[in-house]
Amino acid sequence: MPLLIRILPIALVLTLWELVARAGVVNPNVFPPVSEIVLRWFAVFADGRIYPPLWSTIWRAVAGLAAAIAVGVPLGLLMGRTRWAEWFFEPLFSFGFPLPKIALIPLYVHWFGIFSLSKVMLIFTDCLFPMVLFSYHGARGLSPMYLWSAQSRGTGRVRMLWRVVLPLSLASIYDGVQVAVVVAVLVAVVTEMVSGGGGLGEMMIRSYRYGDVRTAFATLVTISLVGYALFKLAQWLRGTLLHWHVAEA
Amino acid sequence: MKAFPVKIIPLLLVLAAWQAASSSGALPQSVLPSFSDVATSLVAMLRSGEIAQHTAASFARAGAGFLAAVAVGVTLGLVMARIDAVQRAVEPILLLIYPIPKPAIIPLFMVWLGIGDFSKIAVIALACMLPIVTATFNGARSVDPMLVWSAQARGTSQRRLLWRVVLPAALPQIAAGVRTAIAIAIIVLVSAEFISSEAGLGYLIFSYGGAGADDAMLAVVIYLAALGFLLDRCYLAGLRRLMSWHAFAH
Repeated sequence: MPLLIRILPIALVLTLWELVARAGVVNPNVFPPVSEIVLRWFAVFADGRIYPPLWSTIWRAVAGLAAAIAVGVPLGLLMGRTRWAEWFFEPLFSFGFPLPKIALIPLYVHWFGIFSLSKVMLIFTDCLFPMVLFSYHGARGLSPMYLWSAQSRGTGRVRMLWRVVLPLSLASIYDGVQVAVVVAVLVAVVTEMVSGGGGLGEMMIRSYRYGDVRTAFATLVTISLVGYALFKLAQWLRGTLLHWHVAEA
Repeated sequence: MKAFPVKIIPLLLVLAAWQAASSSGALPQSVLPSFSDVATSLVAMLRSGEIAQHTAASFARAGAGFLAAVAVGVTLGLVMARIDAVQRAVEPILLLIYPIPKPAIIPLFMVWLGIGDFSKIAVIALACMLPIVTATFNGARSVDPMLVWSAQARGTSQRRLLWRVVLPAALPQIAAGVRTAIAIAIIVLVSAEFISSEAGLGYLIFSYGGAGADDAMLAVVIYLAALGFLLDRCYLAGLRRLMSWHAFAH
């Protein structure tokens, strides 16, 4: 019953939409009925034309995010545990976090070309900020007890970061991943809309140019599902990998 | 704010390193113009009024969308928090809109509302509204029930209760949601102006980038970043003055 109540408003809106679109007051090519959009969504999967752009967007988002994790986590942890790194990097990343990195698209196209590399690099750049800052805050807020007990056993600096600071900061790092995964899909789609080169963003813009609103809608639904699925995947990974973690208990 | 001068040193070091790399020839002009060239073209664009004109265009768009989002978002959030039926009706729809990357809606809005300003304003309003609704709802829900009860005991009407008790008490959380919305407004604005426009800072960046005028393009990027930073600072400073009466400020 609660589920039914939750879904009811959505069902009402969609029904109203269908009725308005079918009433013949608006041009169905501009405002198509929901049922036709749903059919088109199935059709783009059935005829397979959604798969190449779908994979392009997913792999760009994941590659950029993975690179941001690989660079951002060590840097953030270092900032959290080393005074000079904190002094130098913290203002830069705090200052840059809210700024619109999207504005760098033309520069990145100039540096890395119009194909995948410029897009992956921009996704990397944009995701780097949350990854660095969340890792930094994770490493900074650690209870010194853990560090002292490791130090008293003669643990070296590198080993300390890798075996003590990293595992203890994981909860915060995963918070960063959940922020970054949303950013990754957003930036992937915007770069594809602006500079083409395949992907769901380009499919969206191309459908718009051809006046194909049904496909544009089907693409938008797919984009949202990709974002949602990646976010849920990150959430699931967090729960699965972190069940032992002190911050989770 | 006091730590600000110290915090700016790393940024100055990066700019100095950029300039040194350009001057020594280690960083070719074709890859990245020198910082002094970028600064020179920024000054030229500020003098000629080019920047001012495009800032006005961007500001009008982002401002209109943002203000609409504040008006609708705060009202909706408050009503949702006080009336269960509204919450049950609206929340599932908001949850459905939440995961959509908002700039991806721009092409659809261009079909419905035309390629002019209206479609851009609408998408900015939609994107900014969500964090404001969420923040207002959470803020209004966590209002101390004592405040509500004591107002009700004096026979305050539901409407008056919303505007005179719940809204002021929820302000700190609303203010945080609005701050997020400012950052979102700039991102969506630039995306929209990249996709289609004939004026605005996003358009200016894109057209200089397309023309290969990297120094002018970077000048606008830096100007936009500084503008976003200043907006955020002014917002925080204004907030601190306006809310000095509020419990959270002490």
